[in-house]
Amino acid sequence: MENAEKYAKVDRDILAAMEKPGRLYLAGLAVAAALTVIGGILWAHQIRTGLGVAGYTHPVNWAIYITNFVFWVGIAHSGTLISAVLFLFRARYRTSFNRAAEAMTVFALMVAGMFPLIHLGRSWVFYYLIPYPTQRQLWVNFRSPLIWDVFAVGTYFTVSVVFFYVGMLPDFAIARRCKEGIRKKIYTVLSLGWKGTDREWRHYGMLYLFLAAFATPLVASVHSVVSWDFAMSIVPGWHTTLFAPYFVAGAIFSGTAMVITLVIPLRKAMHLHDYITDDHFESIAKILLFTSLIVSYAYIVEFGMASYGENIFEMEAFRYRALGEFRYLTWAMIFCNSLVPLTLFARRLRRNTAYLLVVSLLVNVGMWLERFVIIVTSLAHDFDPYVWGTYRPTYVEVGISLGSFGLFFMLYLLFVKNLPVLSITEIKEHL
Amino acid sequence: MAERMVFEDRDRFLEALRRRVREGLPGERIRVITPFGVPEVEEILSPGRSNVRFFALVGAACGTAAGFALTILTSLSWPLIVGGKPVVSFPPFIIIAFALTILFGALSTFAGFLLLSRLPSLRGIRSEEEHGNAFVILVEDGERR
Repeated sequence: MENAEKYAKVDRDILAAMEKPGRLYLAGLAVAAALTVIGGILWAHQIRTGLGVAGYTHPVNWAIYITNFVFWVGIAHSGTLISAVLFLFRARYRTSFNRAAEAMTVFALMVAGMFPLIHLGRSWVFYYLIPYPTQRQLWVNFRSPLIWDVFAVGTYFTVSVVFFYVGMLPDFAIARRCKEGIRKKIYTVLSLGWKGTDREWRHYGMLYLFLAAFATPLVASVHSVVSWDFAMSIVPGWHTTLFAPYFVAGAIFSGTAMVITLVIPLRKAMHLHDYITDDHFESIAKILLFTSLIVSYAYIVEFGMASYGENIFEMEAFRYRALGEFRYLTWAMIFCNSLVPLTLFARRLRRNTAYLLVVSLLVNVGMWLERFVIIVTSLAHDFDPYVWGTYRPTYVEVGISLGSFGLFFMLYLLFVKNLPVLSITEIKEHL
Repeated sequence: MAERMVFEDRDRFLEALRRRVREGLPGERIRVITPFGVPEVEEILSPGRSNVRFFALVGAACGTAAGFALTILTSLSWPLIVGGKPVVSFPPFIIIAFALTILFGALSTFAGFLLLSRLPSLRGIRSEEEHGNAFVILVEDGERR
């Protein structure tokens, strides 16, 4: 095939994903939107009635909302890993996933950012967390991990949005050329008048390199800061130096699983088999396997430290985690996160997208359970047996959590139909 | 505009570009439009490395300074001892300074890119001129804009 024809085919194939949606797509969008609305109504109910409608008890006053926060921030991480770290390592297969992964990062952070506000109860005073000059001359306490969160997640979101947008800039110029009507006008403005001159490409190359370099440390730092929300306390099961690397590995693990969950149906629905090949899925399955091994190692270390640490509270926390009230969740977590991914050592299974989809869904479940187990079991069963308690989520909490999944998938579905799902210019570059 | 060459093939385009430069045409007079980034263009025209990197450096340095200034000065403006920690507790302040380093660095790099590439360009937004997937060499009479 002539080069020009090849390039035109890439334009056509990828922009074809933005054509009129089919019935299945609309049905999916409707379900996601309905869940979002239900979640919104329940949140409004919680704001109106008070935090009592959540299942918080003494001593478990961090539960599903914080689980969701940690889960969604974690999901965001592999987006940055794929778009920034793999870019710096010049991993070619990154091109198949980076746009979808960057979109995932931005949407997951939007969803994650809502949960501390939902958990606050009085969501409308969230601005107390932001340092700004007031008449009372009071400033925030920068020694508090919650303030670190504001800075870490705020920075992460801003940088991810810039990175996402910058990556799409040349593609907007292509969409502008190929689309008609109001869409053409929108893409024209979004493309900022990009023409593809040597000057633009030269500065663009440097910009992309630096954004990747700035985003790379965030992969390690943001979830470390999130883990310190827990590790800075003295609660048994939380107070450990292992937490930062443990959380970062878990974040990349869950995020990679989510990328797989999102891209396999995307490839099938949009007929992108030429661009996202089985080889690419095999590479990303290897990341999944590798991070699963790190997470399993962290589980072993965690239990190991508790068992030889001579600290009866820590020992009891882990005995309770494995054998107590929430034992089924703990075992399900170990099954999903440590055992199921081991099957990916088999090459044939790594290349089987249907199997990979099942594994990635189980990993998503497992990683959600991991955060739940860490948060709830530690609080329910700390130092003093007199204050031991338990926790059951209410329908409000469950509904808001499902709503967060609805919101995430709704944003993702809207992204698929409105923005180029693969980096067109990068694919052409590697043709 | 004196001359305009359009190519469909990347290699033939690079060949022509190389030839023009070898013939003694100064790089400043050549403008190139490509459908994707072609690293060889930079080697041939050798315009020097992009100055976007200085924006990154200055932005990141300002971010670090801002992070420490914000945390230290606000703590000193109401010196309250919390949790037995010193008023100016460096370890947690490093986290804030780190986050702002990245934030300011990334935003300033982006701003630098926009400034140096002269984007957003109203002329570019208004113009209907499209080159599609072609590689274009434009040779201008005088200095390029």
